[in-house]
Amino acid sequence: MLWRQIHRWLGLVAGTVALVLGLTGAVLSLDPVLSRWQARPTPNSLSVAQLAGQIAASVPGAEEVRRLPSGEIVVYGFDNGQARASRIDPASGQVLGEYQPSATMRWFKNLHRSFLLGDGGRIAAALVALAMGLLAATGGVLLARRLGGWRQLLGRVRGTRVQRLHVVTGRAVLAVLLLTSVTALAMSAATFGWVTLDADAEPDLAPSTAITADLPAAQLPLLRELPVRELQKLNFPAADDPADTWQVTTTQGQGWIDRHSGQTLAWHDASTAQRINDWAVLLHTGEGAWAWAPVLGLAGLSIPLFWATGLMLWWQARSQRPRLARNSAPAQADTLVFVASENGSTWGFAQALHAALVQAGHAVHTSGLEHFQVPPNARQVLLLAATYGDGQAPAHAARALERIAQAPVTSARVAVLGFGDRQFKAFCAYAEALDAALRQRGWASLLPLERIHQQSAQEFTRWGERLAEQLGQPLTIDYRPRLPRTTELELVSRQDYPGGAGEPAAILRFKWPKASWLDRLRGRALPRFAAGDLLGVLAPGSAVPRLYSLASGWRDGFVEICVRRRAGGVCSGYLHGLQPGARIAAFIRPNPAFTLEATRRPVMLIGAGTGVAPLAGFIRGNTGYTPMHLYYGARDPALDYYFEDDLQRWLAEQRLASLNTSFSRTPQGGGYVQEALQRDAPRLRELVSKGAIVRVCGSQTMAHGVAQALDAILATMGLSVQQLKAHGRYAEDTF
Amino acid sequence: MRKPLLTTLAAACALAVPALAQSREVTLTTQLKNYGGNGAYLAVYLTDAKGAYAGTLWVAGGKAKYYKHLSDWNRLSAGDAKRLQGVTGASVGAGRTLKVTADLADALIDAGYEIHVDAAVEDMRDSPSEVRLPLTAAGAGKAQAGKQYIQSTSYQLK
Repeated sequence: MLWRQIHRWLGLVAGTVALVLGLTGAVLSLDPVLSRWQARPTPNSLSVAQLAGQIAASVPGAEEVRRLPSGEIVVYGFDNGQARASRIDPASGQVLGEYQPSATMRWFKNLHRSFLLGDGGRIAAALVALAMGLLAATGGVLLARRLGGWRQLLGRVRGTRVQRLHVVTGRAVLAVLLLTSVTALAMSAATFGWVTLDADAEPDLAPSTAITADLPAAQLPLLRELPVRELQKLNFPAADDPADTWQVTTTQGQGWIDRHSGQTLAWHDASTAQRINDWAVLLHTGEGAWAWAPVLGLAGLSIPLFWATGLMLWWQARSQRPRLARNSAPAQADTLVFVASENGSTWGFAQALHAALVQAGHAVHTSGLEHFQVPPNARQVLLLAATYGDGQAPAHAARALERIAQAPVTSARVAVLGFGDRQFKAFCAYAEALDAALRQRGWASLLPLERIHQQSAQEFTRWGERLAEQLGQPLTIDYRPRLPRTTELELVSRQDYPGGAGEPAAILRFKWPKASWLDRLRGRALPRFAAGDLLGVLAPGSAVPRLYSLASGWRDGFVEICVRRRAGGVCSGYLHGLQPGARIAAFIRPNPAFTLEATRRPVMLIGAGTGVAPLAGFIRGNTGYTPMHLYYGARDPALDYYFEDDLQRWLAEQRLASLNTSFSRTPQGGGYVQEALQRDAPRLRELVSKGAIVRVCGSQTMAHGVAQALDAILATMGLSVQQLKAHGRYAEDTF
Repeated sequence: MRKPLLTTLAAACALAVPALAQSREVTLTTQLKNYGGNGAYLAVYLTDAKGAYAGTLWVAGGKAKYYKHLSDWNRLSAGDAKRLQGVTGASVGAGRTLKVTADLADALIDAGYEIHVDAAVEDMRDSPSEVRLPLTAAGAGKAQAGKQYIQSTSYQLK
């Protein structure tokens, strides 16, 4: 199902009208709280008979008593032919004053339930309530998907500020909004008579005809049983009609009492529909539940927030939609390109590929993978597929595998290109599933499956070259990554190191630019980031950003990275040439699988070379004094001991619980970091048994060596790195 | 607010005479006060000399769940399955006027019949038999005030 589409269009259409409902609902939610303020408490033991007796004494001419949901008691009657409504203190029966319901609240109520438009308006409001319910439900599905499943619903939400506002608020109030919608529909159903609340017809009463004196209210057996707390309405018998009866309505039902004998003439239990309706009213209005009403009010106020942030998200997505020049009809195309992309980034690659193939003289049809279908004319089929969350298909392509399993196989050759992130267990798992499905169906292969890590333009270009070889013609794929909006960062300081392998390194610190909240809301500022997230840097003249692990979080007030200058490296060369005061264009790319949540478990940090940078960031941000243990491998303390002074200080401040360094190029330096791990095996086992979380950062070779060493150490415990990964306790950031 | 209507009470009314020639047209005008609330539900009906229900002339207000608040009418007419047939309309706003027209058998006039109007307004008190008017030739044109919501009610005979 296209949950996102439903959510988006319902939000755009019904959301605008829902604004009125949300705001008026927030106003109305004040009423239960204010009424509660005014209401005098009802003694628990007070019976309706006692109350009626007191009222008969204090309010001559009383005809009807109502207990409002707030607990206020109102008596209606006539005083010398003048209609009166009085508030009563239930404890004493004394008149407190005149009862005058607020005309303002009545106006808001009518606006809320019918837009002041009568029955047509009521139906419109009910439809908007239905739309709200669907929005909440689809929002829940999208939320769960975004966070990687219903169990991860409480996980950290990443993304731009607008996205986070939308998602985090949604997570908080979704259940309330859903409840509000369902109860609104229940109330509408009762109003329009789609459900019948009163199951029983009016009873045939046989009141006593004897002309005797009325029994006082205080002596009526039924009224003596009923507590005032359950009372809704009590009607006194009319003075001028000897055949008239007492009539009492409570939350439990309705009863009729003979005025002379005091006998209960009839009792009807409240119907199930009536009880459900009472609950729906209570939950929807908060009347009679003053503590609940503010929750409803906040949910009402959240609607304008959803509407505004939703509108911005829609607009952003819209302006990022790909533009495909000369997209041929499927039947005319010799080359088909199908795209599966959750957030649209894969479309950027598809667009470049499409343009290159068109330029090379092909008739190309590019579309979403959900349209998979291969007409006989097609010679080659290219699938570009991103993996979402835990190896799932992107939402729009959810049924693509079924489609592929049914589509007739032609002589066209196919190639699958996967996009993903090696950080995730299910790296390119969806692309693999697609590839396997196509092979199983017997499609001829154009190229073996390739996987692209973190939208690497270089890897994509290499794949393009192989594709050109297969097609036997040159292809000029001009892929320009659609970069996030960059922000200018000013270099404030740099600390230089000679570096371990003859390549100098530097710790570069940039100022975190202050931005107005408006800019932040519009996504124009550098978003908040955590140590372990990535800083994307664009060297002048280069279209491809380089990513560096962040050694600081936004709370530190600066942006810090550690860069080794690589031979021929465009970006690292550029960064190394900067002096304080210089400015770079940069953006943040979240790296949620690697960043560290606040935790009380011990944390094992294992890093080598410049890979120590994000680990240093974790320690810097460790204001909660989580026990963090750093295993740090370098070559020579004189050359590449990055963050040395900082680490010593953090050790003294107890942000770092222990520091274990090993230097591979000095005598008795301790060798590689994995050797240090082996030496410390008993301690590591103890930490892991305490639930330790592990973060590894360094080269791929180093990470591989560390994983091997840890596997050997953990084997005696019956554990493995793979298991720790599966439980989200082990993550790597490698380069 | 005008609600022109032609009803014959033949079905509901034991005393109705089948031939239309022997009927009179009654026009009942009910003007509401500015009582400061939502639209009023009104039930206009007849009782006979013994106070028994004789038929419904008009019910203003379309939602059945509120009918229990027109309590006299609701009780008395409970046995009349056709009490709503062709005689319902919208609720009447504060300060507005309801006009009901009906053909009544001649025999109903000056025979102890009474016109009742029950009234109810949301979140305000119910007012059963807000107005009771004896149906007599002499009573035509004489206005009577209600207890709570009705400024005046009167009827004309043609």
